[in-house]
Formats: sequence, structure tokens, C-alpha cells
Amino acid sequence: MLDVRDVHKWYGSVHAVRGVSFAARRGEVVGLLGPNGAGKSTTIRMITGVFPPTRGAIAVDGYSTVDAPEAARRAIGYLPESAPLYPEMSVDGYLAFRAALFEIPSGDRQRLIERAIDRVAIGPMRTRRIATLSKGYRQRVGLAAAMLHEPGLLILDEPANGLDPAQIRQMRETIRSLAQNACVLLSSHILAEVELTCDRVVIIANGVILADGTPAALREQHASGRARIVVEVAKADASQAEAALRSLHETTVQVAAGDAEWVTLLVEGTDAVATRTAIGQTLVRVGIPCRTLHAEAPSLEQVFTKLLEQSRTEAAA
Amino acid sequence: MNVTLAIARREWASLFRLPVGWVTVALFLMLCGSVFALAVLNPGMAASQRAFFGAAGWLLLPVVPAISMRLFSEELRSGTIEPLITSPVREGSIVLGKYLGAAAMLACMLAPTLLYSLVLWRVSARPPELGPLMAGYLSLLLPGLFYLSLGTKCSAFTANQTLAFLATLFILLLLLLGSALLPNLAPLTWRPTLAYLSFDARIQDFAKGVIDPRHAVYFVGASIPPLLLAGVALRARRLA
Repeated sequence: MLDVRDVHKWYGSVHAVRGVSFAARRGEVVGLLGPNGAGKSTTIRMITGVFPPTRGAIAVDGYSTVDAPEAARRAIGYLPESAPLYPEMSVDGYLAFRAALFEIPSGDRQRLIERAIDRVAIGPMRTRRIATLSKGYRQRVGLAAAMLHEPGLLILDEPANGLDPAQIRQMRETIRSLAQNACVLLSSHILAEVELTCDRVVIIANGVILADGTPAALREQHASGRARIVVEVAKADASQAEAALRSLHETTVQVAAGDAEWVTLLVEGTDAVATRTAIGQTLVRVGIPCRTLHAEAPSLEQVFTKLLEQSRTEAAA
Repeated sequence: MNVTLAIARREWASLFRLPVGWVTVALFLMLCGSVFALAVLNPGMAASQRAFFGAAGWLLLPVVPAISMRLFSEELRSGTIEPLITSPVREGSIVLGKYLGAAAMLACMLAPTLLYSLVLWRVSARPPELGPLMAGYLSLLLPGLFYLSLGTKCSAFTANQTLAFLATLFILLLLLLGSALLPNLAPLTWRPTLAYLSFDARIQDFAKGVIDPRHAVYFVGASIPPLLLAGVALRARRLA
């Protein structure tokens, strides 16, 4: 559905995007993740045809954004950052205007407007002027407008910006349901949101892609050298368990947290599977039951931070 | 064409949904009404609206830029230009749609002044002639369309509405003064050409009640280059 190949963008002497390549298919939610000024919005704007790439090629549904811009734009639904809308228009009026811009046949127009209104749950607001809507509702109107013509590629620039937690959850559910029939590309700097919403993450910084993969694969791929195993034992057994685990080869043990009944121990070892097996065998041998025994994966935030630091170090070198 | 009309309709309706639209229309009608009451409705005088058309023509100079200043500038400022230019619409349709919407607004602003003609018809012993009346309205509408095209162009180049307004007003004043003065000041060999290009002379012709199709072609033709430039400005944004 989307094919971005070796795309570059120069703003005068500033090389904002440097050889970005990735692809996305229908049914996939891809998150474009990066710090401010990383090149996310520039990449999105090149895909949506706000401006062309200085070098490289972008194809949407097989149409080049440079050679067949109108066909490519027809395949895209775009929600820009902050959902710019005409405040003086009513929700219904705005959606009808967008339907006319995409030349949706008049026979289908009302049905598609109703469908979009239903999907983002803005029915009670449809006759209201956009100026009187809350930020969350405006974002939803923008999303309804983007999905109105049933595009194959939905591009959402910071869709969760300025929304409260309940609205973010609703937005996440809507995005997931839209991905059933389309490819969704969203940019965000809210890592937890990307982790929850996206099937795949493309991490970008200084105009370069640092990583591309599923959140789980990225966590595994970029885990630090030592495995961290979480062990939860009864408080009464904690000191005995700690002593037993300290005797294991090449491991360190620390007490991470605890309450009135249970204590969490963090054991670091060289290999996740071997360390976990050794912990299990040791606890069985000393007769201490444990409630939890699992390897702690690094969060996407840790992966993101690590990749950014690496990128900065390489840039400085 | 449907897309162009949709853009025109939205633009026209938006101007009427905003205070700037109503205030502009109200001020124009109030000033025109004053001129009509003071300079046209005089007992004993011939039933002619020439004074009204003359004054309304000058009023268009600040009023038209006030209509056109937000056409693109507001979209550029608020960011609504992004969803617009990322939809499958050509630059020409966007520019023409906005221009037609503003032109419809201008027509709606002039339409209520037809009431003045009806009043004059009723109160005059000898009814006013239709020819000069039509020529008078053409002297407002045709230059108004040309002014609007200049305003559309200025608006496409800046996100600042005030700047768009001032630039349009400045260019209009420069053109009016230039076309009134240059034919008399330029070297003799240039004078016929400059007199032919002068739009002040054509407005004067309309004011005298002369309806010359060449004048209509002139104003419509003169409106095209600024609209093309607006399209170029929009395209330049897409290619930036």
C-alpha cells in the first residue's frame, strides 16, 4: 500500500530526511516514532503530497506521489497535526465539503458521511459549529474527514496530541478498527501509545531510520547485554531466597520492591533462559515457592532512548 | 467543475458566517445608502444614480481587499491549507473556486443596492433610463472582479491577512493613479498605448452609460494573470 524508497529532503542547506525507506501494507498500523525535529512530519508531508521529496520515490497504492499525484492523494486519508478545520462550518457541512473534494458520487455521499460519523462517535455533534467543539471532538471530526472516502492508506500525524486519557483510548480503538481495511501510518512521540496501537514501529532520528520492526522484536533486538529476571517470593522466604540466588554463577541480585506479604527480587544474568532455569532449580532445591518468575523485557522507551543515544554518539563521532 | 463549485460555495458561505463578511457588507451598504440619500435623492434633479456609482466605485477599493484578504491567508495561517492541497484537487480548481466564492460575495453585496434604483423609480417624475443603470452596475462589477483577482493573488502569497489587504490596496491605488496619470505624463508615442491600457478610462465610459463589450473583455482578461499567479504560488508551496 505504501512504498517509501530512499527518500531525501533538503530545506536549503538543511538535510532534513536522509534516505528513508520503508513499506507498509493493508491491515497494518505502523508507528513513526521520533523526537521533535526527527523528520517524521517532513516524511509524512512528502507522502501526502504537501511537497515532493528532493530525491527518492514514494508510491501509494502503486501510484507515484510525483508522477500521479492526484491518484496517490485519492488513496490517502490524512489527518494533519492539530486537525486543522474550518471553525465556522458545521460538522455535517465540513464532511459534505470533504466528500465533494474527493468527488464521492452523490448517491454514496450521505451513506459514507453517516458511516464516518458513526465510527468516530460524533453523532450528537453533527449540527454544531466546529468552533464550539472540544479538542477531542475536533480531532474526531478530522479523523472522520480523513476516512470519509475509504482510503487504502490513513496517515495520522500525532493523533493523540492534546487528548485526555479516555479520548486517547477511544482514538486507539478507532485506529485499530480502521486498520482492518486500510494501512494506518501514525506519527507520535508518545511511546506507550505507539506500543499499544501499532503492529510495527519505525524509529527515526536526524532524518534517518534507526530501527524498523514490531515492538516485541525491537525490544528483543535492542535488549541490553544482561538479562533481567523478576522473581517474586513470600516475604518470610525473601532473605533465604536472596542468599540462595547470590550463590548462582555470574549473577547479581537486588531487592526491587515489596509489600506486607511478597518481595520482588531482580536477578541479572548473562543469558535469560539459562539464568531463569538456574533460578527455578535453585528455588526448588531450597524449597522456596515463588509467585512470579519471568524475564523482564526492556520497554520501547528504553529501546528508543538507547537508539537515540547511539545515534547521538555516532553523530558526535 | 463540481469541485470548483464546492470550494466556491464553501468560500461564499464562510464569508457570510463570519463577522468580517457581515461588517464589510453593512459598512458598504451604509456608506452607499448615505451617498444615495444625500447626492441622488434630491428633489428637482434628474433621476440619475451617477453620483452613487462614482462613490461606490471608490468604496470598492478598500472593500474588495477586505473580502479577498482571507481567501488563502487564513488557510495558510490556520493550517487548513494542508487538508485542502492534499486532496485530489488541482491548483486551478482551488484558485478558481475561491475566486468565484468571493465574486458571489461581491455580487451579494451589490444586489441590495438595486433597492436604491427601485426607490428612484418610484419617486421620480421621469423614470431613470435602464442603459445607464446597467452600465453603472457593470462599472462596479467588472472592476470589482478585477480587484478580487488581485486580492486573491496577494492572499495566496502570505499567511498574514493584514499584509494581503494592504498589498492589494496599494497595488490597486498604484494602478488607478497610474492609469489616470500616466497617459498624460508619458512620452507622446506611448500615450495611445497607455490610454488603451488605462482601466480608469473604461470605468469613466461605464459611468457615462456606455456599454462597450471590449471593456468587459478587458476586465475579464485582466483578471486572468493574477489568478494564474495565485495558482503558481499554490503550486510553489506543493513543490517547496
